[in-house]
Amino acid sequence: MTTNPPTRRRVALVAIATVVALATAVVCGLVIGPTPIGTTRVIGSVLSYVGIGHSTLTSTQSAILWQLRAPRMVLGLLAGAMLAVAGGTYQGVFRNPLADPYLLGVAAGAGLGATVAIVDVGGGLSTPSWTPILAFAGAMVAVVVTWAIGGRGLRSSTATLILAGVAVASLLTSAQTFLQQQSSPDSIARVYIWLLGSLASANWSSVTLVLPYVAVCIAVCVAAGRALDVMSVGEDESRSLGVPVRRVRFVVIAASSLGTAAIVSAVGLIGFVGIIVPHIVRLLVGTSYRRILPISVIFGAAFLVFADTIARTVLAPSELPLGVVTAAIGAPVFVVILSLRRRIVS
Amino acid sequence: MSAIAVRDVSVQIGSSTLIRDISLEVDAGTWCTIVGPNGAGKTTLVETVAGLRRPSTGEVEMDGENLHSMNERSRALRVALVTQHPIIPVGMSVLDYVALSRTPYHGLLRAPNATDRQAVAQVMERLSLEEYADRDVITLSGGERQRAVLARALAQTTKVIVLDEPITGLDLRHQMTILELLQNEVRHHGLTVLATLHDLTLAGQFADRLVLLDKGRVVLDGPSGVVVRSKELSECYQMELRVIDVDGADVVVPARH
Repeated sequence: MTTNPPTRRRVALVAIATVVALATAVVCGLVIGPTPIGTTRVIGSVLSYVGIGHSTLTSTQSAILWQLRAPRMVLGLLAGAMLAVAGGTYQGVFRNPLADPYLLGVAAGAGLGATVAIVDVGGGLSTPSWTPILAFAGAMVAVVVTWAIGGRGLRSSTATLILAGVAVASLLTSAQTFLQQQSSPDSIARVYIWLLGSLASANWSSVTLVLPYVAVCIAVCVAAGRALDVMSVGEDESRSLGVPVRRVRFVVIAASSLGTAAIVSAVGLIGFVGIIVPHIVRLLVGTSYRRILPISVIFGAAFLVFADTIARTVLAPSELPLGVVTAAIGAPVFVVILSLRRRIVS
Repeated sequence: MSAIAVRDVSVQIGSSTLIRDISLEVDAGTWCTIVGPNGAGKTTLVETVAGLRRPSTGEVEMDGENLHSMNERSRALRVALVTQHPIIPVGMSVLDYVALSRTPYHGLLRAPNATDRQAVAQVMERLSLEEYADRDVITLSGGERQRAVLARALAQTTKVIVLDEPITGLDLRHQMTILELLQNEVRHHGLTVLATLHDLTLAGQFADRLVLLDKGRVVLDGPSGVVVRSKELSECYQMELRVIDVDGADVVVPARH
């Protein structure tokens, strides 16, 4: 990427296109499904909630729309937004394009926690209610251990932290795999489904449970954009520019990890969004995190709702794992944008 | 009061002492250059004066205030730094790069204001960088890039600037350009410069004063003309150095036998 930085006009166009994509994704998420409910009737029902006109839906259609599709769509928005912004933030703070939200062991920790719950180690853990709790706890423990090993010391570098993350993730994954191997075929299947990520179990209570975490964490990550831009000149120089590098690093890693852990506990491990969305946004609007992070929030939200709409419709009534869809759409889109950019540059 | 006062500073890492009991004062509006062979402790000293390293013993004061008891932001309002190998971010315009200098003024959550933009514009004009404002800083040539790095440090509008080998890798013309720009800032804008340089001729020609460092200690501290002619200089470099007068300017050359 050696062209001149993108113009304000282009950034504005991308931002508008992303918002339009989000609106379209929201409508698709509510309208598309095995039970046909017309677009106008869905919009009528949405408007009736804010006091405009009357809903013409039957009670079954209303239940499908408001108890199944709507919470699922909202949880998809939150998950996509959080994973994308966490990935972008990690890439900024580690100055590493391969960073994703699972870098410091969140995924492995959550995987182990969920497996403990699903396999019911020790008995008495009633799945599914224990699954999100233990997944969240596992994710947070993993990050805290990684930080304790790799994040301390006066001159500790981000490389040490990444390596600590690799070690912690490997250890937890081996424990998780062991537990999974020891369990019944039925448990193995359920663990497997959880690991691939899904929005199928979404309801309003899972939305309200993760919403506060996700809202605060997204706000912190987006606000860190300017700090991450300064930190692109390296640790020593950003300190000489007045940035308390270690404190900023701690705050943004804590926010990204906490938000990711909350999302993962609700929807399992959805791969690819966290790494691919910030990259696509970067290719479109340049390398400034003040632009990448807020646009990633909207783009990630729209992307995941689109992906979920595909996941639950192409093989209806059964569902495709969401991670399969995000990778299957994300990778070609990324390749197309990459090659288009290259053509423009040359 | 000195702009920079280094008092009995030692820096130790593990069991090795990088610099030992260094004391040094630099007056406001003057240029002091640290010279010495590789491994003498020059970089450690300038990093300590820039606030990046905490001295194991002793202290560094700027305008009478202890530099290491300040937070990063207060320190950045007093001293700017040009590192030996500046990291150039990808995809950032020259204007945005130079504007990073204003971070300690507007903070991490606010955008630059009119004063910040004016300070950046003035420095870019002085360093003839306006035509590159929208260019990606990574696409600049080595000389232009170093000018952008210098602009970023100058737009921080601190009284003191610390530079670690600011002309490494530049051709002769660009070396002179960078040093002349700095000299202009010292003479006309009252800037205080503490730099390290390997080129003894340029070090002698541009600094008011040279400090010779070897094995972490100050060996000699004095006016440039005296230090370049000293026997200590030859001893530290373990070779015979000769000074030739070319139209009143000292040129330091190694003598080959």
